[in-house]
Amino acid sequence: MSTPDVDAILASFREALSQARTPAELEEVRRIHTGKKSEIKAALKGLRHVDPAERPAVAASINATQRLMEEEIVASLDAARAREVEDQIAAEWQDLSLPGTAAHRGARHPVTLVERQCLEVLRRLGFTLVDGPEVEHPYYNFDALNIPEHHPARDMQDTFWLPNSLLLRSHTTTVQARVLERETELPIRIASAGRVYRNEAVDATHLAMFHQLEGLWIDRGLTFAHLKGVLAFIAQELYGAERRVRFKPKFYPYTEPSIGVDLACVHCDGAGCEACHGAGWVTILGAGMVHPKVFEEFGFDPSEVSGIAFGLGTTRMAAQWAGVTKVNTLYEPDLRVVRRLHRGA
Amino acid sequence: MKLEIDVLRRYIQLPSSTSEIRHLLDDVGVEVKRIEAGPTGETLTVELLANRGDHYCYEGVAREVSGRTGDGVTRPPVARLETGATPWPVNIETELCPRYTATLLVRGEQRDLSREELRPLLAAGLASVHPVVDSTNLANLELGQPTHAFDADTLDGAITVRLSRAGEKAWPLFTEEPIEIPAGIMVIADNSKILAIAGVIGCEESKTTESTTRVLLESAGFDPVAVRKASRQLGIHTDSSARFERGSDFARVLEGAGRVVHLMERAGWHREGLTGDHGGWTDPVRVVGLDVVDAAGFLEYPLTEEEVRDRLSRYGFEVSGCWPDWPEEWPVDGVERDRHTVLVRVPPSRLWDVDKNADLVEELAKSIGYNDTPTRLPNVDRGAIPSHRERVREAAEEVLLGNGFYEVITNGFHGRDLRDKLGITEGHPLFAYVETENALERAYSLLKNNALAQAVEAVAANLRRRQDEIRAYEWTRTFHPDAEAANGLCTERHVLWAVAAGHEADPDWTGRQRVADAHFFAGLIREIATALSVPLTLRTSELDGTFEGLLHPGRRADVWLGEQRVGAIGEVHPTVRQAFKLGKVRPVYLELDEMALQATPKAVAYEEPSVHHDIVRNLAFTLPRGVYASQVLAVVADHAPGWFEGATVVDRFDHEEDGVAVSTLTFELRFAPGESGRTADEVNATCEHLVDVVVRRLGDAGVRLRA
Repeated sequence: MSTPDVDAILASFREALSQARTPAELEEVRRIHTGKKSEIKAALKGLRHVDPAERPAVAASINATQRLMEEEIVASLDAARAREVEDQIAAEWQDLSLPGTAAHRGARHPVTLVERQCLEVLRRLGFTLVDGPEVEHPYYNFDALNIPEHHPARDMQDTFWLPNSLLLRSHTTTVQARVLERETELPIRIASAGRVYRNEAVDATHLAMFHQLEGLWIDRGLTFAHLKGVLAFIAQELYGAERRVRFKPKFYPYTEPSIGVDLACVHCDGAGCEACHGAGWVTILGAGMVHPKVFEEFGFDPSEVSGIAFGLGTTRMAAQWAGVTKVNTLYEPDLRVVRRLHRGA
Repeated sequence: MKLEIDVLRRYIQLPSSTSEIRHLLDDVGVEVKRIEAGPTGETLTVELLANRGDHYCYEGVAREVSGRTGDGVTRPPVARLETGATPWPVNIETELCPRYTATLLVRGEQRDLSREELRPLLAAGLASVHPVVDSTNLANLELGQPTHAFDADTLDGAITVRLSRAGEKAWPLFTEEPIEIPAGIMVIADNSKILAIAGVIGCEESKTTESTTRVLLESAGFDPVAVRKASRQLGIHTDSSARFERGSDFARVLEGAGRVVHLMERAGWHREGLTGDHGGWTDPVRVVGLDVVDAAGFLEYPLTEEEVRDRLSRYGFEVSGCWPDWPEEWPVDGVERDRHTVLVRVPPSRLWDVDKNADLVEELAKSIGYNDTPTRLPNVDRGAIPSHRERVREAAEEVLLGNGFYEVITNGFHGRDLRDKLGITEGHPLFAYVETENALERAYSLLKNNALAQAVEAVAANLRRRQDEIRAYEWTRTFHPDAEAANGLCTERHVLWAVAAGHEADPDWTGRQRVADAHFFAGLIREIATALSVPLTLRTSELDGTFEGLLHPGRRADVWLGEQRVGAIGEVHPTVRQAFKLGKVRPVYLELDEMALQATPKAVAYEEPSVHHDIVRNLAFTLPRGVYASQVLAVVADHAPGWFEGATVVDRFDHEEDGVAVSTLTFELRFAPGESGRTADEVNATCEHLVDVVVRRLGDAGVRLRA
């Protein structure tokens, strides 16, 4: 029996290998040249016919050749796979400078965003949101809040009157009155938010409807220091702890003492500039200790309990934060505006 | 009110710099809105507290500053008027005028007041008229006591303070001609005419002029509410009415007159006779108790009896010692005898706003300075979490936001023309509105009873701005007349509405976006139901009459929560589209009752998925127009075995058969594989049964299996 021509087998393999480009072609080369029916396997099977004296050497040569072929296939496969990926990558190039295709998310209204932010701050102080009607009885809008008929304070809130001597609420303080009427257990910590109405000639800065948010905290032992503490907390949580806050006397019929909260102007930090009309300060909150007459109206003993009440003009805050100078813009369903407020121009 | 800084300095010591003055005034509640160069010097425009009539003058502002700084207030010189036999007969027929003084002055060699004397007038933006008018205006600005000068030679007999009678006319200054005034208004009259609307304005026929030689000077105290009513009823608002409405100082009526007399005497006039003081008003002596320890505790500021006395006296209050050192002559009804309690006598100027302990504490706080008392956050035992309602809102919103909707806020009104535009006529559920009674603008005549109108208006407005991709939503309220409602007028319905026109998402370069139609909103309802874990379903029968004529009858469905109708979806009715000039744009609308969405969420029942794959079979049925897929699905669901898991439509093909428009729908039916698997024969037999039932039930309606 003659010794198999291992070199020829290897040469034939290498010729085939050099022709194969893709992993599939290489697998085919592997099948043909190293598979069960390949020449190298036939050579191994033919060993039994080789002279026993030469058999070990021939066997070693065949095995070495088979290993070499396997190694060359693996190397070629690796290269081919890498080449295939490279080709794929080259073929699959995309222009990712094109606009993204995920659907554009919408956005909440700036007034809602402000309202939610305020509520988030208030919830940390234990306030819960309470709702009330917009069509109101004058009792809850005025009388119960120490604003009797013909009181000058009624002028401050030009009212939309409705049949049956009802009205559209001119402030969200009405909700406070309703809560005081039905709640007796202390502490009471509620916030009310929503639309209020003023019967005014409408222009860019005067609206017949806008938004307010108010808070009421009733408990034993609340002091003027607590009022200021709560107001400062709200102001600084909303506008930043570094912003300076000042308090000033105000008049609201349903609070005594009444207090206004100013923030240092963001542009001049209190020095006075054009943006703040030289005042240096911008008023953001009206507040006070609940008036004893309001307590008496609802059967609370003002010598036993005290209360903190405050109100925020969420429309004005939204306009300030969004940089909108014409407040009426916020109440027009102009999607150009809401998109710009959300996504920029 | 406008105040000249250098004039204010005559009354009270002020800081040297304008910014310090501004800060000080802000600090005491006299808010400086503007500082500008006036005709005679730097002028402040201040906003005064609405309840403080005594603030409306230089002395009042100075008094407030004094309360803070402790510096004394200097008053301008006044003539000391002696009262006695009245120079003119006066009758007071109404208790709304507790005090009325009359002083007669006669002209000598008249000369103008000096520019220095006129400075408050000029700073306030008032023109100098002649010395008589100037003097009354000045006294008002300086001391806050409105006065009025009548030309005595025009008066017909005695002065009478009374209420106007029905049909009576008066000729207020600055009006073209006499006007009829309502009955019951307090007036000053003589025997033949009305001379003035008390506290509001004088009248033409008795006004002083350059040629007036005798003046009857009125200085009085009027009931604030009466003045306010008159001012509002006549629509006449003056500096005098502004002061009287907020409560004037009846004790200083004579002093006010004295200031006018002083100025008129400097202008060459002189008094004739004494001053008549009518009405018999006396100080009611109001006394309020103040517990010094409680006040200190409330302000968390160390206060002593002496400090309380010092601070309150700056505002004109008289303060006793602590009990038992109380003046015997002061009324002490209701004041607890306590060794920490002082009595505080309220000055007449403050009778209008001080009657409680809290009022005095406010004065103390102002005197100390609101920024100089401690600030402390109360202890908070625990915070709060959003309510169920807030969470429901957020969850529903997230569905809309994720689908590209923007929140908008519309107002609460409809104009009358909107109802016509919607084509709503009598008998329609939305015909009735709650009407406002005094709206200044016509657009606010009605409270809105539906949200669809504003949704369609929003679409129209955006189309006009060339925004044709529209997805908007709002949480709002609609108002529905209801005599049975708790308020006897209307109920308020909390509503979530959404509108879309254009595509389901903003078109991009792929060109794959679907047009936003009612199916889009059906999907939103499904997603909202999932987000809220509530079983919202769509029904196309027994439709809500509210949307009759507003939504396309062939492209609408009602939203149900169990057996409760909670909303609707649909394409806007063609006639409404026409009325709002929407052209070919077909908006779709969604409305949900917010309160219904508050239903208790149902937790999703979880079942472990089978190790076997679900068995899926597709069945295609051809349906004529007018037959809903839901009808097929209902029949399938009713007749499927317990291991049927559900069905959905996965394909629709619209075509014509024999010239009739039909749709072929492919229904994908899913069956549970069962623990040990289910045979194909079993599933196929079930499908054949379902086909048979569908054709039997709906065959007459034209439904058949697509071959």
